[in-house]
Amino acid sequence: MFADLFAYFYQFADVFAFLVLSAAGLAVIFGMMGIINMAHGEFIMCGAYVTTFAYHDGLPLPLAQGCGAIAAGAIGVALEATLIRPLYSRPLDSLLVTWGLGLIATQGTLIVLGSSVAGIGTPSGGFRVGGYGFSTYRMILFAASVCVLAFIYLLFMRTRFGVHARATMQNAGMAQALGVRRNRIYALTFGVGAALAGLCGALYAPTMTLIPTMGSTFIVEAFVTVVVGGASVLLGTAPAAVALALIRTGLNGVYGQVFGQIGLLLAVVLIIRVLPQGFSGWLAKRAS
Amino acid sequence: MLKRLNGPQTLGNGRGFWVCACLALLAALIYPVFADPYDVGNFAYFLIWVFMALGLCLMWGYGGMLSFGQTFFFGIGGYAYGVLSVDLGNAHGMALGNFVMAVVLAGLTAVILGYLMIYGRINGVFFGIVTLSVTLALAFFLGQTAGPEWAIGSARLNGFNGMQGMAPLSLPWFGGDIDLEETPLYYFVLVLLVCTYLALRILVNARFGNVLVAVREDSQRTELLGYDVRLYQLGGFVLGSILAAVSGVFYTAWGQFITPSSIGLPAAAMPIIWVAFAGRSDLTATLVGTFVLLLVFQTLTIYSEQAALILMGLILVLTVMFAPQGCFVGLGRIAQWRPVRRHTMRARSPEAG
Amino acid sequence: MRRRSLISGAAVLPVFAIVGRHSGLGADPIKIGLIEDISGDLAMMGLPKLHGSELAVEEINNKGGIMGRQILLTHLDPQGDNARYQEFARRLLQRDKVDVLIGGITSASREAIRPIVDRQNELYFYTNQYEGGVCDANMISVGAVPEQQLSTLIPWMVEKFGKRVYTIAADYNFGHLSAEWGRTILKPLNGEIVGEEFIPLGVSQFAQTIQNVQNAKPDWLYMLNVGAAQDSFFEQASAAGLNLPMGSPIKIMLGFEHKRFAAPTLNNMHAAANWFEELDTPAATDFKKRWHTKFPKEPYINDMGYNAYVALYMYKMLVEAAKSTKKDDIRKVIDQGGACIDAPEGQICIDPKSQHTSHHMRLISVDAQNQVHVDKDFGVIQPYWLGQIGCDLTKHNDKEQYSPDHLPKPS
Repeated sequence: MFADLFAYFYQFADVFAFLVLSAAGLAVIFGMMGIINMAHGEFIMCGAYVTTFAYHDGLPLPLAQGCGAIAAGAIGVALEATLIRPLYSRPLDSLLVTWGLGLIATQGTLIVLGSSVAGIGTPSGGFRVGGYGFSTYRMILFAASVCVLAFIYLLFMRTRFGVHARATMQNAGMAQALGVRRNRIYALTFGVGAALAGLCGALYAPTMTLIPTMGSTFIVEAFVTVVVGGASVLLGTAPAAVALALIRTGLNGVYGQVFGQIGLLLAVVLIIRVLPQGFSGWLAKRAS
Repeated sequence: MLKRLNGPQTLGNGRGFWVCACLALLAALIYPVFADPYDVGNFAYFLIWVFMALGLCLMWGYGGMLSFGQTFFFGIGGYAYGVLSVDLGNAHGMALGNFVMAVVLAGLTAVILGYLMIYGRINGVFFGIVTLSVTLALAFFLGQTAGPEWAIGSARLNGFNGMQGMAPLSLPWFGGDIDLEETPLYYFVLVLLVCTYLALRILVNARFGNVLVAVREDSQRTELLGYDVRLYQLGGFVLGSILAAVSGVFYTAWGQFITPSSIGLPAAAMPIIWVAFAGRSDLTATLVGTFVLLLVFQTLTIYSEQAALILMGLILVLTVMFAPQGCFVGLGRIAQWRPVRRHTMRARSPEAG
Repeated sequence: MRRRSLISGAAVLPVFAIVGRHSGLGADPIKIGLIEDISGDLAMMGLPKLHGSELAVEEINNKGGIMGRQILLTHLDPQGDNARYQEFARRLLQRDKVDVLIGGITSASREAIRPIVDRQNELYFYTNQYEGGVCDANMISVGAVPEQQLSTLIPWMVEKFGKRVYTIAADYNFGHLSAEWGRTILKPLNGEIVGEEFIPLGVSQFAQTIQNVQNAKPDWLYMLNVGAAQDSFFEQASAAGLNLPMGSPIKIMLGFEHKRFAAPTLNNMHAAANWFEELDTPAATDFKKRWHTKFPKEPYINDMGYNAYVALYMYKMLVEAAKSTKKDDIRKVIDQGGACIDAPEGQICIDPKSQHTSHHMRLISVDAQNQVHVDKDFGVIQPYWLGQIGCDLTKHNDKEQYSPDHLPKPS
């Protein structure tokens, strides 16, 4: 009995972690800045690749993963300053630029690093509950996803940077008039989003095959979670991830992965039909 | 009605433009006389995709609705044509009948989906995500129809490997049907494209187009002026989706083959890339720009091997940096530049979606 | 000669500009069109295929070409896009007027090309192992098919590990058909499919699947997962302590997982292969040496690359036996039977009824240190299934793909 309950929780936690980790970076960038980042998968790939190379060079895994996240964040800051900054008032142009960047990144990685890279084994072994074996690392991923949500909340609600960032996103002109360094805020926020994407790649690198196009397996879930969550990353991402994870786990468990995948997509359609502004719009309305 | 060929919603209204357009059409018509049959067939292939791009231009450029669903209707049109062609055959003009029926089916689907979305007040980026979800769901669903039970009549959907066995389009003619392949297909597609383009020009410069643009600019104001905003949006959506289905039927007939990979990602993003690059706010820019982009992308892929995708990415990035309204809208504006002009021709479109 | 590229990259790119020696006799070259993905998701498979073709062309040209004519190899990269496969097949056949077309990785890409090849009535070599069943006079299949891979592997796995089998398959034609083959082969062995799961392509998270497997308690897993995302299963299963024997027709020699995943992820994986890089015959060793000399950075010579290499030699044999490059003359040679070559795996022949290739199959296994062993030698196995169900290309051209649930109508 307990074993079955734990198994359900484990499945839910696994899907929840995947949704949160893949969506977090995109939620910050889209939710806070209105930029549609089609290169999100490539930031994930960057984090995964840097982690793998750092690990193979001898760094312990957590440190290598940190390197992966930081590398992605740094690239994000650089890209923001050069290409993305002119596009804040033109979100649909950001789609085009980031798609082009994604193409360049994937193909460039293929040419320079080859079509695949030797992977890292999954650490931390496993444990058994009842008749099932579970991977400890998947539980670590779940813990990480909760930490990421907490981090985003704390960063944007409890730090001065967060206040400045939210002010800039609401009304850049006024915030600038009040002394906020607008360009610095933009660069850092984009960097945070990119770093979160890199962290996703870094965390999942030990469990996956490493090819230049590996980011594409995260993209769909990331986008639907962000959009179902709505405009506010703080209010929307967590409830969206919970709802979608419940739906996906349920369908997976009863009908198998095919219906899980199709069902998830159709559920997204239904949710947006019922809540046209996503979860954060609905929650904001209820709160006011 | 022909007056409406020119108007505020289309670039290129003067005599110079129409002279150039006629020359271009003439060149296109005599092209097969001196060109390699392969190149003619290849150009026909590019023209096939332009219908889908024009549809998206109408929906997105004029209507402000970013839809990831063009390949959804592309797939419905293509698969419907495949099923009808296998089950009912293509003889004695039935091919054209199948064409029309497939497009009508896609149109009905567009009405249903459009109604659910537009009257459900879904707009902006949510519109894009809903259409993307529906498109991906269809792609996944069709991808797993590999078994023999997945057949409509005697037409097996055949899952990921793709549906085959449909015949090319044919025109009924005395003494036997003409198969529309290579040069005949080129002429058929060209003529249909020209008619579609002219019809769209008339449409966007007429009341429908003006209201659609008004809805894009400020839907609340338009509603307060008394127009049924959602009806116009639905009309734009359905028309644009029908054009996507036309592309789908042509593609399936051209290659006698269609797969779910023509529906899912990254295929679903391609119309958006083309139209965004070419200039979504204008029909002519979209038509010319899409054709040129497809030609350039194919040429790059043939001649620069692994560097092709990098060059393609660079083209997209540079276009946004230097020609933010779209490459060909930019060129069109340059072509129309007069020294006296001190204001832009019409308001910039807001990015609300 | 290869088309030069405008921009050459570093590292893994093949050497451009191979200048073919023109022999004194041969006038115009024999043109071979090659369509292989070297970008996108399938680049890992496509690059060895391109290399195999290039190595064969270079060797053949250095020895004087085919009937004194040099080979001109034209390669186009379809970037994993079926529409591009169609565009490039048309281009190579109509514009470049190649004498033969080679290429395609997924079955979808093959099925995209086949109508075009049939309409142009040209010859086409499909060099991948696949789900079998294509009965088309314009196509010669070089890869292994289920009766060669599964009718050897599955009985061996049942004998060694037991009768309870859990199938994990990619949710598309290949997965469904191979799962069907599995069921068909297991029935006379009294095998039992205790679970069957179909996973959509691109899905990379398998927690639910692993739990289902643990519930069902099979003796071994029949793995038909395809693509880099689905390959993540192995890492996740190993981390969850699943540790079951696995059998697959498409792992080890195809995607060299034992080189890419850390040990012991692929422990106890078994496959039946016509070629794997660890093969230790004199012919194989010599072949490997030549390959690594030309492509020193190749991570693994997979069976796709090997098949691509062998296909060129098959074509050479056929053209020299027919003394012409015309498709009908070549088909006459095949129809007579005896169209064989000595390949690094052993002698392989083209079957007249189905135009598929016989192969020397060996059972290989991966251990906990990612080492590959040969556990059984099955000898040469003919591609008998199509002939058995009624496909006879010496008599009629069906232009169809058959499967156990889609058999030819009795005539």
